[in-house]
Amino acid sequence: MRGGQAKAVPLLAPALILQTLFFLIPISMIFIVSFTSKDTFFFEPKYTFDNFVRMFRIYRIDFQNTLFVAGLAGVIDVVLAYPFAYILLRHVRRFSDIFRAIMIIPLFGELYIAYGLFYLILPGGPVANLLELLGVPALQVLYSLPMTILGMTIYTFPFAVYNIGISLQGIDRALEEAALCLGASRAGAFLRVILPLSLPGLISGWLISFGWNLGAFAIPVLLGGPILGSRVLSVQIWTTSLVTSDFGMGAALGVVIVLATVAIFYVVLKLTRGVLV
Amino acid sequence: MKHKSRARLSNGLHYFYLIAVCSLILLPLAITLYRAIVVEDQGRLSISFDAYKMISEAFWDKVGVSLSISVLTVVIDVLVSIPAAYAIVKYNFPGKRIILTYLNGVWYVPGISYGLSLVLAYFFVFKFLLGFWGFVAAYSTGFMLLTLMTSIVAFRGLDPVYEEAARCMGAGRLTAFARVILPLVGPGVTAGVLLVLVLSLNEFITALLLTGPTRISTAPLHVFADIRHAGIRPFVAAEATVLQLVSLTAVVAYLKLFGSRYLRGTILI
Repeated sequence: MRGGQAKAVPLLAPALILQTLFFLIPISMIFIVSFTSKDTFFFEPKYTFDNFVRMFRIYRIDFQNTLFVAGLAGVIDVVLAYPFAYILLRHVRRFSDIFRAIMIIPLFGELYIAYGLFYLILPGGPVANLLELLGVPALQVLYSLPMTILGMTIYTFPFAVYNIGISLQGIDRALEEAALCLGASRAGAFLRVILPLSLPGLISGWLISFGWNLGAFAIPVLLGGPILGSRVLSVQIWTTSLVTSDFGMGAALGVVIVLATVAIFYVVLKLTRGVLV
Repeated sequence: MKHKSRARLSNGLHYFYLIAVCSLILLPLAITLYRAIVVEDQGRLSISFDAYKMISEAFWDKVGVSLSISVLTVVIDVLVSIPAAYAIVKYNFPGKRIILTYLNGVWYVPGISYGLSLVLAYFFVFKFLLGFWGFVAAYSTGFMLLTLMTSIVAFRGLDPVYEEAARCMGAGRLTAFARVILPLVGPGVTAGVLLVLVLSLNEFITALLLTGPTRISTAPLHVFADIRHAGIRPFVAAEATVLQLVSLTAVVAYLKLFGSRYLRGTILI
């Protein structure tokens, strides 16, 4: 064991140094700054708990909006991703690599997803005329909750597919066959064997989608319109710290999101027994 | 006969569902591309690449900056991840799981919080990084997980007998690593290279926070600024497709060369 440690340390050192310099130190700083008032950290730090006390009063709506849109997008993600992963793993061979490859596209970033959907609905865009024919004002659809949720759903869909897929891959097919041999129908075997066994993947898929969408920025800004677009936590962190220079409050909001996502990933790691996204 | 047609119907429904969901995923890219290249003239639609000619030189400069940052990020991540992954797979030592979790730490932190923490760290601790290298350091740390995980998967899939055989035949530890192990795990490691390249090229939120203090702008930031100022004008759509098409080309080329097997278990099922 000791020999292993001695050989491993120099090999791990560059990665550990990189993470310490540009992850641990910066994250520690955001924690420290969150306990300082306004931008005093830059001159003469005034330490206070006030940011955390005031935060939930001032930004109550932002917390509600963020939790709601991220949570609902996560639910839609797992509802769509479960059959997708199940079919891809169990029933499809031809073109399966193409379906898999398409899952990389949302990773290009939420900015492009938001922009594509923005143009789709904007007056003059491809769907706007159809909406007008149906008597629905395009702008009402564009800057709306459903569009924001649709954008987030697309953004985090691959993470839900991955988590559910990993869970489904871990289920021994003999269990399903045994249930069928013992007289269960296909639906019965699915509901009483496959679904309960893949539940950790389903939950972790939702949690991961939720966690990633907590930090989504371009989607609410471009699709949420002036009301929702400015009242989510990620946008507040940016405006509070970099626009109005209240770094203390911005850092405190950042800390809350960090703690929430760390808790989420902890649960996911427990559920998936250490399988990472 | 009845059974056969039912199976065919079920198979058709499976493909229909996958295609429907994939269409939804592809919709934003497809619609942006449509805006960039389809022109309506007196009710008639035609294809034109004029929007790409209207892209400003400033944008192409920023594409160059983004590509430089991404290439350096890939190089650093590969150099750092391969030895770390080898150590994690090959040796047993106390606290291995904790170290692995620590190395993956950035992945657990939303980009907006990570970006803000970097702004603070660059202002107070790493003032010399207030520039191009600030981006490289941030991206290398942020995306290291991807090369690390793909390298770990590659090393785990490697039979130790090859290394042992090389050592038995007189190769030193370093020679065996460089001439036997690295060529064998290379294709697996390339999956990480692809993912880091694609994600760092398109990274937006960390860049949005770093751009102020570092005074460096990237292509995704230029697109965001143009979206806010020029909305849906065709040249903005063209800009938005440039890095997506570069990334898509990289993904397609990779899949042609290696298929999806090295990506499975890392980010794909």
